[in-house]
Amino acid sequence: MHDYFLFIGLPYVALFSIIVVTIYRFNSNRYGFSSLSSQFLEKKKLLWGSVPWHIGLFIIILGHGAAFFTPKLLQSLVANKTVMYILEIIGLTAALFALFGLIVLFVRRLRNSRIQAVTSNMDLVILTLLTVQIVLGILTATLYQWGSSWSPGIVGPYMHSIFTFNPDMSYVKELPFVIKAHIVIAWLIILLVPFTRLVHMFSLPITYIGRLPQVVVWSFRRQKEAVVIAETEDTTRRYFLKALIGITTGVVLLLIGIVDKIIPFFIGPALSREEKAKFLKGRLEKIKKAVKQKELEHERLINEFIHIADLKDLKNEEGLYFIDYKMKPGLAFKGEDGLPVLYSAKCTHLGCTIANKVKDGKLLCPCHISHFDIKTGNVIDGPALEPLPKINFLLKDVNDQVVVNIDKSKLNEYKVYIARSEEI
Amino acid sequence: MDVRAHISMVFHLDKCIGCHTCSVSCKNVWTDREGTEYMWWNNVETKPGTGYPIKWEDQENYNGGWELDKKGELKLKKADNKLESLLQLFYDPNMPGLDDYYEPWTYKYEDLFNAPLSDDQPTAIPISKITGEPIEINAGPNWDDDLGGSNLYAKNDPNLEGLSQEEKDLMMEVENISMMYLPRICNHCVNPSCVAACPSGALYKRGEDGIVLVNENKCRGWRACVVACPYKKMYYNWKTGKAEKCILCYPRLETGQPPSCFQSCVGRIRYLGVLLYDADQIPDAMKVPNHSLVESQRKIILDPYDPKIIEAAKANGISDEFIYAACNSPVYKYVVKWKLALPLHPEWRTSPMLFYVPPLLPVLGKVVNGLYDHSAREFFTSLDNARFSVRYLAKLFSAGNEEIVTYALKKMMAVRYFKRMQQLGDLDSGKVHEIMREADISEEEAEEIYKITTLATVGERFVLPPIQREEAMATKEPEVCKGCTGCGEIKEPTRGF
Repeated sequence: MHDYFLFIGLPYVALFSIIVVTIYRFNSNRYGFSSLSSQFLEKKKLLWGSVPWHIGLFIIILGHGAAFFTPKLLQSLVANKTVMYILEIIGLTAALFALFGLIVLFVRRLRNSRIQAVTSNMDLVILTLLTVQIVLGILTATLYQWGSSWSPGIVGPYMHSIFTFNPDMSYVKELPFVIKAHIVIAWLIILLVPFTRLVHMFSLPITYIGRLPQVVVWSFRRQKEAVVIAETEDTTRRYFLKALIGITTGVVLLLIGIVDKIIPFFIGPALSREEKAKFLKGRLEKIKKAVKQKELEHERLINEFIHIADLKDLKNEEGLYFIDYKMKPGLAFKGEDGLPVLYSAKCTHLGCTIANKVKDGKLLCPCHISHFDIKTGNVIDGPALEPLPKINFLLKDVNDQVVVNIDKSKLNEYKVYIARSEEI
Repeated sequence: MDVRAHISMVFHLDKCIGCHTCSVSCKNVWTDREGTEYMWWNNVETKPGTGYPIKWEDQENYNGGWELDKKGELKLKKADNKLESLLQLFYDPNMPGLDDYYEPWTYKYEDLFNAPLSDDQPTAIPISKITGEPIEINAGPNWDDDLGGSNLYAKNDPNLEGLSQEEKDLMMEVENISMMYLPRICNHCVNPSCVAACPSGALYKRGEDGIVLVNENKCRGWRACVVACPYKKMYYNWKTGKAEKCILCYPRLETGQPPSCFQSCVGRIRYLGVLLYDADQIPDAMKVPNHSLVESQRKIILDPYDPKIIEAAKANGISDEFIYAACNSPVYKYVVKWKLALPLHPEWRTSPMLFYVPPLLPVLGKVVNGLYDHSAREFFTSLDNARFSVRYLAKLFSAGNEEIVTYALKKMMAVRYFKRMQQLGDLDSGKVHEIMREADISEEEAEEIYKITTLATVGERFVLPPIQREEAMATKEPEVCKGCTGCGEIKEPTRGF
């Protein structure tokens, strides 16, 4: 349940906050928008903090943005191994760069008494969150290799589902804890942006590039060029109206999204007979699937041995899927000596199911292109680090007796079983 | 021709007594808030000296103002291009820090009252106004005032560079030591580098009167203006994260009063008036070589008596009151008509609209063999014998062009000869008239200069056009200002979180 909150509820709260609250803050207190630079009070340490932090962060955000918004492009880029290595090295360097800068800034803020005079509680909160976030990001990059190739396939669709108001957290639900924490803290930081000094990121003065050097404002004489400097009651009223329109639009859109989900949930969609039948069929299939799964689970709870296949049905080149005692997929092959070879089909990288076709003696995980050796289960290449675990088996003959001494001539009669305790 | 009006200033340094009344009145009106304690929108420096912030004239260090690039085009000294400018947002290597100004402090006065009975008298220790911690005071806004510690400070004056040892000795010799005061406020330049450097576009020049202001709601604290202003008259408010600067007391101007530093000036050295200038000529006028910068700045200032210019001004929306004020402007007389007032450091090419009449510092007497001898042959010794070498003054006021400074000093001297002859009669009339001819000054002009320099009333010193709030409002729809006073409600500025 808390997954629903963290990966679907929190994102919408965060997006609401960064858009609506930021606009509200901008309209209600424009004076409060500032970079709040402390270079005036302390200069030397700022150089070693601010510059690496901002440059490193800029590169990292660029990389994440590519994974979120142009996943196809990024995937086609990193299909080339060399490009992927280069991108990964750049990303990791930038992250370390940013972490270094952030730590310098953090220490400077905690230890310099002049800086403390301009430090707010939110500054400390956001500094802590950012430090944790960068450390988690670096951990993700190093523990779960080659993020630039797999993250577009996971985070890209997830973000797409969020932004199209069709949230689907199945992409991220099964991810390891570190990556999940990284995603949650990202939403948290986005949520906090309008309550911290981070709003200065919206003030990036890009228009300066094209601006004329001199700015002249005619306050009252040349009416056609008139620009009102002081905020009169009139302008604040206009700001209020603008903010009201902005907030109302945001709330209405959000409500439409919620209502769109809630109404079909309670009263069901208005459907024709054919559509209803199709819908029911889909639900039936879902229930059947669930029943099948429960049956399998039940079978594994009461039986010491589970029959997977007859040895004669196993093939060298094409694996047979089965479900092991942990209710996870496994793959069964016939080895070169005619005896079965059983692997767990759960990729050791991020837990995708491995494809059952063997090509050039290699097994492939289609999610992030990890290759495993069919003979040993070892990783040949790809982001996975651990070899595929082998699952032990036992053979029974036609009389349902466990085979102790394997008779090579009777191989075709044997049946392949897995046992509850895999130590057999 | 794009005629615009500009409220401009003249400071007559010959009359400045260095009393800091202007600074104090400004501080009390504008910069007594938290975050602005260190700011002195008006400050008075002793020259030779390093000033405030320390060595502000050293642009090799602070990178302020404009310079000409290889093609002869104007460019900001702080960055070669706008991209470099934007990269400096994160960290600006040339920005002065608090220690380049001074750390503002107060005293722990409560210690005087709360101290327990003891044999020693209680003391109030100095504490920082930023951190609240005890500090050791080793800098202040006028630390080298009246040449205090001059062998430590005055000799570091960037303007002394290039002067001969003899000239330096003449200024620094203990018995003859000489100084002048330099009151400084924002120059409200016609070609302001702070405006050009502001990434947010928050700084602007008010079209009607040329006052350079910060739109605090647009300012994002990128600090580029602090670096770009060569006079270091842009300040960063460390508390609110916004830029602040001298506003020429525009709320006072709009109600017909002179700025508070002008009003409070004890020596009556300050003059305020309207100049008409041609905005189209600004960039080209600032591209000339250093030695002709003063002349080219004078050229963009237009003659308010010329009917053609009056016509063009009216076509541009300048009101009759402004043109009338421009005709009576003491600034026009000092700057263009008499050529007495000169801009401070024109070599930074911002075309400042605050002009200084350089001080006359003639040697009247000398200590010879331990005795003070003032039996000089003539009433004034020649300029070559002045205690401040002309070269030093030229470095301050004419980008090194000594002729311009000499011209002004000779004219001022001629006025004194003329008045001495007239009032005391102890000088030879023929000789005085020869001096006046040499100084390019007629009797009427000398009389006029004498009058405005010594006898001018408030109304003659500050010739203000009416820029009144009522007028500002009249141009808007009536219901806009219904139910509010002045400009309406303005929120109290608070620091963002």
